Parts: sequence; C-alpha cells; structure tokens
Amino acid sequence: MYGQAKEHDHDHDHPDFLGHHWESPTQQFEAGKFGMWLFLTTEVLLFGGLFCAYTVWRSNHPELFRYGSQFLDTFWGATNTAVLLISSMTMAMAVTYAARGKTKAVIICLLLTLMGAAGFMAIKYVEYNHKFHEGFYPGLAFYEEPNASHLWQPLDETAVAHLAHDKTMDMDESNLLHAEALVRAELPEAPAEAVTWNKAVAGPGPGGLTTSHEQEQLAEFTAFLPEAFLGDNEDIAGELEFADGHAPGEAPHMAHPLQDPVRPVNAQKFFTIYFMMTGLHGIHVVLGGFMIIWLLYRTIRGEFSREYYTPIDLGGLYWHVVDLIWIFLFPLFYLI
Amino acid sequence: MMSLLMTLAAAAPYKEATFWMPESASTVAPQVDGLFDFINIICYIFFVLVVAALIYFAVKYRQRAGQNTFEGGPTHNLALEITWTAIPSVIVIVMFVLGMQTFLDLRTAPSNSYDVSVTAQKWSWTFQHPAYAVTEAAELTVPVNRPVRLLMSSQDVLHSLFIPAFRVKQDIVPGRYTSLWFEATKPGTYQLYCTEYCGKDHSKMLATVHVLEWDEFQTRLGKLAREYEDIPESQLPAYAINRLYNRCASCHSLDGTTGTGPSFKGMWDRTQQGTTVFTDGSTLKQLQASGAEYEIPENYIRASLVQPQRHVVQGFTGAMPSFQGQLKERQIDAIVLMMKHLDTLVDADGNIIENPDLGGDEEAPVEQQEGSTK
Amino acid sequence: MSTTDTPNMTGPAPVPDNYLTYSRGIWSWLFTLDHKRIGLMYLMSVLGSFFIGGIMALLVRTQLLVPEGLIMDQDQYNQVFTLHGAIMVFLVIIPSVPAALGNFVLPIMLGAKDVAFPRLNLFSYWLWMTGALMFVLALFTGGLDTGWTFYTPYSIDTGSAMGGVIPALTGAFVLGFSSIFTGMNFIVTIHRLRPPGMTWFRMPLFLWAIYGTAIIQVLATPVLGITLALLVVERAFGIGIFNPALGGDPVLYQHFFWFYSHPAVYIMILPGMGIISDLIAVHSHRHIFGYSFIAWSSISIAIFSFLVWGHHMFTSGQSELVSVVFSLITFSVAIPSAVKVFNWLATMYKGTISWNTPMLYGMGFIFIFTIGGLTGLHLGTLGTDIHLHDTYFVVAHFHYVMMGSALIAFIGGIHHWWPKMTGRMYNENWGRIAFSLVFIGFNLTFFSQFMLGSQGMPRRYGTYPADAGFQFYHVLSTAGSYILAIGFFITAGYLIQSLLGGRRAPSNPWGGRSLEWQCTSPPPHDNFSEAPAVGDCYDFSVLRWDENEQGYVWRDDVAHPGSEDVS
Repeated sequence: MYGQAKEHDHDHDHPDFLGHHWESPTQQFEAGKFGMWLFLTTEVLLFGGLFCAYTVWRSNHPELFRYGSQFLDTFWGATNTAVLLISSMTMAMAVTYAARGKTKAVIICLLLTLMGAAGFMAIKYVEYNHKFHEGFYPGLAFYEEPNASHLWQPLDETAVAHLAHDKTMDMDESNLLHAEALVRAELPEAPAEAVTWNKAVAGPGPGGLTTSHEQEQLAEFTAFLPEAFLGDNEDIAGELEFADGHAPGEAPHMAHPLQDPVRPVNAQKFFTIYFMMTGLHGIHVVLGGFMIIWLLYRTIRGEFSREYYTPIDLGGLYWHVVDLIWIFLFPLFYLI
Repeated sequence: MMSLLMTLAAAAPYKEATFWMPESASTVAPQVDGLFDFINIICYIFFVLVVAALIYFAVKYRQRAGQNTFEGGPTHNLALEITWTAIPSVIVIVMFVLGMQTFLDLRTAPSNSYDVSVTAQKWSWTFQHPAYAVTEAAELTVPVNRPVRLLMSSQDVLHSLFIPAFRVKQDIVPGRYTSLWFEATKPGTYQLYCTEYCGKDHSKMLATVHVLEWDEFQTRLGKLAREYEDIPESQLPAYAINRLYNRCASCHSLDGTTGTGPSFKGMWDRTQQGTTVFTDGSTLKQLQASGAEYEIPENYIRASLVQPQRHVVQGFTGAMPSFQGQLKERQIDAIVLMMKHLDTLVDADGNIIENPDLGGDEEAPVEQQEGSTK
Repeated sequence: MSTTDTPNMTGPAPVPDNYLTYSRGIWSWLFTLDHKRIGLMYLMSVLGSFFIGGIMALLVRTQLLVPEGLIMDQDQYNQVFTLHGAIMVFLVIIPSVPAALGNFVLPIMLGAKDVAFPRLNLFSYWLWMTGALMFVLALFTGGLDTGWTFYTPYSIDTGSAMGGVIPALTGAFVLGFSSIFTGMNFIVTIHRLRPPGMTWFRMPLFLWAIYGTAIIQVLATPVLGITLALLVVERAFGIGIFNPALGGDPVLYQHFFWFYSHPAVYIMILPGMGIISDLIAVHSHRHIFGYSFIAWSSISIAIFSFLVWGHHMFTSGQSELVSVVFSLITFSVAIPSAVKVFNWLATMYKGTISWNTPMLYGMGFIFIFTIGGLTGLHLGTLGTDIHLHDTYFVVAHFHYVMMGSALIAFIGGIHHWWPKMTGRMYNENWGRIAFSLVFIGFNLTFFSQFMLGSQGMPRRYGTYPADAGFQFYHVLSTAGSYILAIGFFITAGYLIQSLLGGRRAPSNPWGGRSLEWQCTSPPPHDNFSEAPAVGDCYDFSVLRWDENEQGYVWRDDVAHPGSEDVS
C-alpha cells in the first residue's frame, strides 16, 4: 500500500523510490543523510559569517549591544524559543512515527510542526511590526522620524518657533533661545520618562553617524549639554537607567533613540545586525514551512512507508538546525 | 644574508633601472631588490631543473614506433620524496624570514621622520606639510636623505599610494589613517601612482615626487607657503593655471574636450550668459536673476568649488568632490580670475602659454610646474 | 552528431546505443538526469562564456597598446576589465573542470551509474544558467565597473559604481549555490557510490582532486554567499557594515571576500592538477609516481587553503603581525604543489611518452605552472610583495596559475576525454599546431607582464605614463594575446570538425586503465550494466595496442581483475 503510488514501467524489480544508480534503499538513505549534513554545514557557514560580524562588532562596540538589546522584548523572544523547541520535538516525533509507518501520527506531528513554524513567524511579525512602528529600521532608515511611536515625543518646531517669536516681543531682552526654552516649559506635560527633544543628538553628525574615532569620542560628551536645551528636565541621571524590557501592554519607560542624549554613536548598527540575522533566520523558517507542507502533501498521498521515509528524516534534520541557530540568536540578542 | 643586504644598501644609495626593477632611489630599495634577486635566483634554478628534466624525459622516453606494450617503473622512492620536500621547505623558510625582516623595516618609520599628510580622493592627491603650512597638489616635495613619513587619509573610497622607485606602497582606507615611510637617496623626480582601483579616472590619479637637497627643499617650501599671498593680483590667473589647475586636469580639459567634467574652455562665457542647464532642468540664467544666488556670476564658480553637488550640469554625473577647506580664499579668487582670463592663459589647442600677457605689474612669472597636463 | 558511418576499413564499430542517442529532443536534454548530458551542457555553456570573457580580454589588451589608450574611454575600459574578471572567474574557471568534466567523468571513473543526487545536479546547472543571465542583466541595468572583487566602499556608492552591481552580486550568489550543490553531490558520490573493490587508495588521482575541490566548494562558498548578500543589503539599505561613512569597515569586507576567494583559487587549480596527474600517467604509459603523496596533498591543499587569505591584503592596513602569520602559512601551501610537479616529472622518467595533444597540454602545464608557482614566492614574501602588490606582476602570476595552468589543464582534459564524450577523434596535427600557438601566445602575453609589474605598472589602468618604459612590454603582451586567440580559434575549429565527421573513437584510444576507458566511446546511458572490476588504475602493463580497433585493449595473456584476487 505504501510507496507504490506511482506507475512504473520497469523490467526489473525494485521499489519505486529507489534511484537507478543505487544498490539498495539503505545505501540511498545513508547517502541522502550524508548529503543533508553537508548542506547543513553550508548553512552553518552561511550564518557563520554573520556571527563573525556580530563578534567583531560586539567586541569593538559593546555599548551598542547593551543599549540596543533593551528595545527587544525578552518575553516574545523566549516564547519564540519555546515554540521552536516544541516544534523540533514534534518534528522528531514525526520522524519516529514515519519509521514505524504510522502515517496518521506523522500527519498530526507534521501539522503541529507547521503550526509551530507559523506561530514563530506570527510572533516575529508582531515583534518586527512593533519595531517598525517605533522607527527601528536597519541602516540609514533608523534616523528617520517615525510616524507614530509611543516612545516618541514629537515637538512641533514651527509652533515652538512661532510662540517663541511672540514671547520675545513681551520680554525685555530679545533672547530667542531663552524664549524657546520657556515655550517648551509651557507645553503639555510629556510622560515622566520622556526626554525633551534634542536636535544635536538626532541626525547624522556628532552623536549620529560618524566616520572617525575622534568624533566618536566627542559624541560621548554630548550628554553634558547646557540646560537651556534640556528645558526643565532635571532628572538626567534617571534616564541612564534603562529597563531591560517590558511585558506587552506595559508603558515603555525608555527614551526613543532619536531623542535620547545618551544614545551611543552608530546605534543603527545594533538593529542592522539584529534584523539581518533574525531576518535571514526567518527566511529559513519560512522555507522550512514550505518544506513541511510538501512533506505533508507527500505523506497524505501515501508516498512514505516504513521502508522509505527519507525525506521526512532529512526535513527533520533541516528543522533541527534552524531551531539550533535560533537557540544561539536568542541569548546573543535578547539576553546579554 | 641580512648583513650582506645591508652592506649593499650602504654601498648603493642610488641605482639605475635594471631589467626587473625600476631605478632604486630609497634606503630600503636595495634591500627589497636584493631579496627579489635572491628569490629570482632560486626560481631560475628550479625552473631550469624542471624544464630540463621535462624536455630531457619527453625526448629520451618518447614512444618509438612499435613500442606498444609497457613495463612498470618506479612508483615511489621515500628518500627522494623526503629530500625534495625538505629542501624546498628550508628554502621557503629562509625566504619568509628575509621577507619578514624587510617588511618590518618597511613598516617601521624612524622617530625623526619628516611628516607629510596625504589626502587621497577621487581622482587626485593633495599633500600637506604641517611644518610649513603648505598644501601641494599632485606634487610631493620631500628632502633627500631624510626619513619622510606619509600620514594618509581618503575622502571617499579605497586608494593606494605607490612609488615604484622607493619600493613603498600602502592602501589608503577611508575612515582611518594609514601610513608609510621612506628615505630618498637621490634628488630627482619620481612617479607616484594610485594603485587601488577607485573608479573612472583611477589610471589618471598620478602625482610626481620631487626630491630636493635639504636647503633647496626648505627654500621651495617657504616659497610655496607664501606663494598665494605674495603673488600680485594681476598674476593670480597665471598662478592658478600653473599651480592649481593640475588638481582639475583629470576631469576638466582646457581644449574643449568633454571629460568627467565640462571643459574650462569657454566656461566663463557660458557662465556670464547663463546658458548652462542643470540636471533638475533649471538654467543658470534663472539663478542669475536679481536677488538670486548667482546674481554675481563669480559666485557660481565659487559655489562649484565648495558645494559642487548643489547644481550639477546636465549630462554629468556629479562626481566632483568639494574643495572646501583645501583651497584658501585667495586660491579660490585665483581660480575665478583664471576662468575669466582663460583665453589669455591657454592657446587654441588647450596648451598653457609660457608667459601670458596679463597686464598689470611686470612681476616675475610663476614657473609652470613639471608634469602639467593639457 | 551524424548517424551515418564514416567509411572505415579498420577502426571500431559505431556504438548505436549510447547516452547521446538514448533519447531525442531538446527537452530530453534540458531536463535530463544523466550526468553525462549535464556535463556536456555545462561544457558548452562554460566554453561559450570563455569566448565572451576572451573577447573582453582582447579588448583590454588592444586598449593598452598605446599609453593614452587605443579604443576605449575610462568608463568603458573599467567595465570591460570587470566583466572579463567576473565572467572568467565565476562563469568559466570555477565551474570548468568540476562541472563540465567532473560531471561527465566522475561517476564512470568511480564505477557508478550516476552521481548521488541526479536531480540536484540538474538543478545546479539551471542555477548556473540563472546566475549567468543575471550577469547579462547587470550589463543592461547600468553596467558594472567595480572590478570582479567588488571592493567597498566603491561598490556601495551608488553615485560612483554603476547600476548593475546588485544584479551582478545576486548572479554571483546564485552561481555560488550551483557550486555548493555540485560539491555536495561529488562528496556523497565518492563516499557512497564506490563499487566493491574501489577503495579510497584505488581511486584515480583525478577523483582525489575532485574530492578535495568539493570540500572547498562546500565550506568556502557559503561565506561568499553571505558576503555578497551583506553587500547587496549595504548598497540597498545602508546598513553600515562595510561603508565607513556609516561606521562600517571596508577592510572587513576584504577579509570576508578573500576568506572565500582564496580557497576559490584552489577550486580552480586542484581539479586541473588532478587531470594532469592522469594525463601524464596515461600518456607516458607509466604508473604515477608517488600516488599517496599526491592523494594526500589534494586534501591538505584543500584544508590549508582556508588559512592563507590574508596574503591578498598585506598592504590593506591589517596589522603587521597578521601579515607575518599569513605569509608564513602561505609558504606551507606552496610546498605540496611543488612536490606534485616533481612527482609528475618522475612519472615521465622511464615512461613511453606519446607526444599527442593531451600530453602536450600536460607538459605545457608543467612548464607554465612552474613559473606561476615560483612567482607566487615573490608575492608570498612580505618584503617584495609590498612593491609588487596591485601591479601587473600579480596579474601575470594569477594568469599563469589560473589560465595557464587551470585552463590549460581543462583544455587538455577536454582533448583527453573528447573521444569518450563524443565518440570521435579530432585531427591530431591541428591539435599540435593549435597547442603550439596557445603555448607560445600564452607565454608571450603573460611573461612580459612580470616585467611590467616589477617595473611599477599598476593594475586596472586603462592608460599609463608614456615615459615609464611600459609600452614595449604592453605591445609584446598584446601580440601574444592575438596569437593565443588564434590558437583557441583553431582548437574550436578542429573540435567542431571532429563532431561533424571525425574518425570514430575506440573505447580506449590512449591506453588508460581507469574505468571510463572500459566502456564504449560514447558510453551507454547507464555507464555500466553491472559493477565493473577494479584493479590498479595506473598499471598499464596489462594493455596493448590493437590495429583493428585503433585503440588499446587488454592483453590476452593477462587476467582481468575480478577473475583474480584483487589485493
């Protein structure tokens, strides 16, 4: 019943699934496994380049990673880890049941694995969406003002300037700077944790993007700024303590990077490497999902049996490696 | 071996070009050449051995007519195999050690070096002498018999500074400083190349190294330091065409040929008439309206030097780098005047005229620097 | 492929039922799972790309005839040399021996019916095609002028480098996977599909070479993949990894790039060396000298090749210590290659050498590879490399080893296995004439470039100073390139003529002992109907020439392996 779904015109007797150049199903199976391990080695090397870049950057700029990881939600990361681990388990179960020829169980386990993959991607979608909402993009786009972020406290510059102009008419000294500071002080109350807009920190330039070490060192001192620029915000020291992450629904109590006077230089690099690595991993999860669908299709059609379940075994290997890579990514980005 | 090479170095401060190597005009060059010759000798020996064996065996053991069955022959010989593995191994280790020593000498500048800052950009060289507050373009003047250290930075992409006669080379990496050092042993003129591909005019990114005796060197740099201050107004155009134009030459011709940038020929006329069209469709005429930024046409020339990306002429790629900070105010004045007087400075074919008739005080003409291109 | 017989009084009978006639029609080729057909398709594609890359080369050489550049402006020249390099490296040399010859020969030589994963093999071919098309696309979407090495930041800056960079990088990425899958296939095939009797140390040396190459393909190419992917993302989104304006490091790119590209040059040369081992042995009718050493050296070269990438970067700004370490390890890689040359010479000693075209290419290889390898010493030695780096000396060195050695070995291999692949012989006299032109032309073209480089002529220059004494050598070099081109055109001519009406080939025209010479020329669809008997593949004493067959057959007084104890 199993393994004989296809028509075959042959003058010699061999199972359907056995390639012409193989002596025996065992030889084919062993070779297939070997080939799969080789492929997985290439995957490890592919990610290896990125892990190498991570290592180089982290050792050269540890402050970037300490700063950036606070914006990652450890809860969702941990959930994703659990989801992948469970899906790895269901995948392994699928392989075991396939070896025993229990097709129904295989189908159930594959479906569960697929749900795990989908769940992982759903959580990933939520996470990425949240990031993009806040304006955390890889690369240069990081420095663009986000549209609607709940960390961001936009100040209407035109309004401030207009009001300041009016104020200088009232005052004895036509000191625009002082006037602007007064205007800001009178603006509606921002949430306690937000920091007043600081132009010097935001775009490219000192504190933003830089090309030289001297500028990087200079940028470290931008935290110490004249009071007039900071308005009435007394508690600068408080901003130096950042939360490690927060549960969903909890109000964030860290400053948006574009408004943060103590944001390290080249902060976009953290999100760059984060999105590159988790993105590449996500692509592999999606491809794995398609692979599982294909395996499901073939299982339902009855192409596998106790004698031949190689594709499920090899698919399982792939899935385990995808899971393993995440096991490394999670602590490297979320935990340390 | 090293002492032999060092003795060679002391004995041969300068050497003419040989079959393999160009002239040898620095203290480290004889060392490098000696090492090169040593490697060559090893190579000649092994090459002759291999090719002789090859030809000899091919001829001697040639298949003769009727030879259609084949007996065996030696398939291995441990003693021979070990020997011909061990001997090359020893030889290459010697090569490595000698190479490493020469390399470390090349990379370690003496502490009393004379410093020059080098700025490389697409596609020209600028050399600054901090000790004299002098900037040279496409020319590097250095003293003889003194160690010179070049501190190099790039404005844009990778470049590499190479002076074959001195046997020195170092990549210039944007975002950091790199350095090389040399001590020239004979006054003269030497070629300097960019030797890391940097785009369109990479092949034209050349410079000349002038090595002078110490007092001559000091005199010359002193003169350069004062040069644009001392020059009378009337001679500024000649100064610009002779001393500054070579920075522009790789992209802007004088004879009407369009290069990476428009030709200077007729540029002032076009500027005054406002016929130039920019990539966004606007014309210079529009920008010369009353109250607009180029109402005074000279400002267009000035803006092109310090903010070249502001208005890019249609048909060109906007590859011009900014010279902000590299040109002093008086040098910018000189360039503007040069544009205005270009007809007097350059003949119909684009050649620079020796003693142009600029009117004004008859001061000594500024000498044309060597290697100025058309 | 003519089905009518060429009238032959003597000579082998035509082989009516072979892999070429097994099935007909274009789809039976485009969707074939037969490794032999896939090998042939690769061969045609690679040779086609070689033609295009060669035209680029002739354009470069013609440009450099005069100091101010003869035929192109700077932009055109920059594109031409970039395409020459990219096409030759990615589309020609890297796939050449493994994909074109290896695919055809490996399973038969091993004694198997096919490679381990025939569908993956076909997929590899289509990936190659896709990558090649993307390169073509690069030409039409803005051109490519970064050099084949795509150094940053020039390749990132969309204002300076042309718009075809991203299609070209994507094409190279896809080609990388073609290479990876081929490597995977070969490793599993050699491990798992050996027939009884074919132990590791009974394998012909070509298989050892392919095996070493496959290891490199599998381990190194993914790193190229991620490097190119990072470069694409950098260029498109400005992520700031290689671009110093965004806090990145251009030298990091060089490390990533050369980590693959140095092992890549061993992907190019190792299979070529494998061919030479077999060519020299077969055409000298002598057992290869030092089999064990050559076999082990293929693996050790493969492993050591991963440790020396920094010797491309001695002037890049990396630390002195790093440079010293890389220089030392580089010399260790040189030794096994040198000893191989000695082994090949020793194989010729007391041989019975036929001066036919494959052997001429083999001997030419030894001559050229000796020069190429020896000039690597100048470049591995730190003190001299500072002067020679990025000059024409490097260009000469790598053309000697990549073109003069790897490509010459490829052409030699094509001639050696031509009768087997096509069932036809080619005209031997024309073969010798063409070889002479290729050999002379090659040496003239590239030896002059050594002097150009040591005298200071930099690389990637489309014009050069008139007073530096370079023109003389450039003219010599260009003259040589035209001679070389004529040699290749003649080669193409007589090979095509052989296809159209060459003499039929016997099973064993040269007297080889490896298994591919035991099946018909061309081989049947299945290679072997039952597992072949394996003996010592370098023992030629069991063969004799047969006039009727016009080829070599087993001697009547010697028992076949399989009917005796195979020890």
